[in-house]
Amino acid sequence: MRLLIVEDDAPLASGLRRILEAEGHAVDVTSRGEQAVLAAAQERFDLVILDIGLPQMDGFEVLRRLRAGSPDKNGPMPVLVLTARDAVDDRVRGLDLGADDYMVKPFAMPELTARVRALLRRSQAHGGPRIVHGPLTLDTVARRAFLKNEPLELAAREWAVLEVLLGKVEKIVSKEAIIQAVAGWGDDLSPNAIEVYVSRLRSKLEPAGVKIRTVRGFGYMLEEYKGN
Amino acid sequence: MSVAARSLRAHLLRMLLPPIAALLVLGALVAYYPSIEPATTAYDQGLIDVGISLGTYIRGGDDGYRLELPVAVDQVLRRDSYDNVYYRVVGPKGEEIAGDEGLPGPPADVGPRDGFIPYDTAYKGQKVRAVALPAKCGPAPCSVLVAETTVKRRRMARDILFSSLLPEMMIAVATVLIVWFGVKRGLGPLAKLSDEIKARSPGDLRPIPAAGTPEETQPLVSALNGLLDEVAQASRNQQRFLANAAHQLRTPLAGLQAHTELALAKPLPAEVRAELEQVHQATIRTARLANQLLALARAEPGARGNAAELNLKTLAEGEADAWVHQALARDVDLGFELDWAPVQGDAFLLREAAANLVHNAIEYSQRGGHVTVRTGRRDGHAFLEVEDDGPGIPPQERERVLERFYRVPGTAGTGSGLGLAIVREIAAGHGANIVITEGAGNKGCRLAITFPHG
Repeated sequence: MRLLIVEDDAPLASGLRRILEAEGHAVDVTSRGEQAVLAAAQERFDLVILDIGLPQMDGFEVLRRLRAGSPDKNGPMPVLVLTARDAVDDRVRGLDLGADDYMVKPFAMPELTARVRALLRRSQAHGGPRIVHGPLTLDTVARRAFLKNEPLELAAREWAVLEVLLGKVEKIVSKEAIIQAVAGWGDDLSPNAIEVYVSRLRSKLEPAGVKIRTVRGFGYMLEEYKGN
Repeated sequence: MSVAARSLRAHLLRMLLPPIAALLVLGALVAYYPSIEPATTAYDQGLIDVGISLGTYIRGGDDGYRLELPVAVDQVLRRDSYDNVYYRVVGPKGEEIAGDEGLPGPPADVGPRDGFIPYDTAYKGQKVRAVALPAKCGPAPCSVLVAETTVKRRRMARDILFSSLLPEMMIAVATVLIVWFGVKRGLGPLAKLSDEIKARSPGDLRPIPAAGTPEETQPLVSALNGLLDEVAQASRNQQRFLANAAHQLRTPLAGLQAHTELALAKPLPAEVRAELEQVHQATIRTARLANQLLALARAEPGARGNAAELNLKTLAEGEADAWVHQALARDVDLGFELDWAPVQGDAFLLREAAANLVHNAIEYSQRGGHVTVRTGRRDGHAFLEVEDDGPGIPPQERERVLERFYRVPGTAGTGSGLGLAIVREIAAGHGANIVITEGAGNKGCRLAITFPHG
């Protein structure tokens, strides 16, 4: 994957570069917003990691220009915003302008690499019909699921719930959000019904090391696949 | 400050009362003398008439003179409703002819006026007004003295004085009342203004509306507004400085953390790894401390942002993901019981307060512990509480843990002792109170922030 890091703090930029290169990505680094805009206009990056506090052209402006450019055939470039400010409006402004995620500095590297993976997966899913999560593969066109290359039987609602969770790996998803996403499937769903679908999914997926964690009183989180 | 304060009313009255009193006296004098003079003359004339009548009753020849006054006439002449009337007839050689013996004659220094000598004297221990007038004892001149006590004259003088003083007194009283209530009424807008300023929250630096205040107080209002504007400006500058300071601190810390984590990912000699772990922990603590100091500075009155309507449930939901990951990293089960809890507040500060409570609960929980975040309303008051089943806080320490840099003796972990102090400041800034109790089943600890007026 091709990644662009826009960060003017040299030690942080080089640290990020080495971590992401270790993950197997091709990483370009620039410290200037103007150069980032130019580079993104010339070639496609699978992900842009963008610092807000840049000299001269700041991250907000870079983001605005990235989003204002002609839409790529592969959809908009995912942008992960880094900010050292914690003011609420910074976050809102970033997400309003079309950032896909944000992180407040400083952050732990495992969290960064997890977010990067999630964003890359999402952008791939955007283009392709297959969602892959460890041993689990969902073919969204054929609507068929495979676990360890074996066909996996999923009821329609189990499929719907799993699809929601796969869209947000390592992020907690509230029961309400799941109900909303699944509501298109017909009659009203109670939170209890969601519990039933999740427990059925668990019994099918956990033997293969795919884990769904319960967040008490809130919802669920599909954990990152760490091997079995 | 109230020591040196002077009442405007008292001051005005102090300035007004002496001139009013002086005017009152002057007015009375001015009214009294012109009216007492003709009245005195008129009463004197009555005495003169009596004297002239008496003069016609003097009879006599060479053997002496006498007053042949019939008793009835004497009674008529002496008749008076208020005063006793005295007379005395003195012969040409100064001999006593008739009348009240011992009635004093006119003093030598008083000259005649229109032929009569009016004078004041005393008779039988009473003040009397008298006139001396000439009469004829045959061809020889003699004199008649007529006097009366001064009851009706004094009464008249009093009446004159009262009739002139009464309206003036009323004017004086009216003036005092007008000053008293007029000042109160005139200062009414000022009182309203001060009530409005008193009712403000410490962070409210909006200008005071000048409309409705009297013209004379406009300079005061605009000076106050100038000051408020400067304070607000200073507060905005401080906010900007804090945001910049945070940025300046956090970016290098992020770099430091990135490189330590990179290094830790490599195979290292055990000693070096242990050292590096320390550096890594210190980095994370420093970052957290920077955040906390920032929050503490922001929670200061005056630096506070504007309060907005917000819901603690939504706030907690927004942070749930970050908190759950913190909890997972320490193998703590974090759960939620979130209900609608609307409050007026600063979203950044309340989020920081909640984050500190959650962080503390996770930090001091054992592995496999349970932490629960609750929001909702109790008796109409919105609340946010965090409960854990960790070691808890002994009752005698519960007050002190809210103090800055205080840590319960013997506590494990690496806290700065700032977390709960920040929570307390933020709660105080929102008029909310903090209660620390045991958790369910007398285990662990529960910290609840309860907000005013739900």
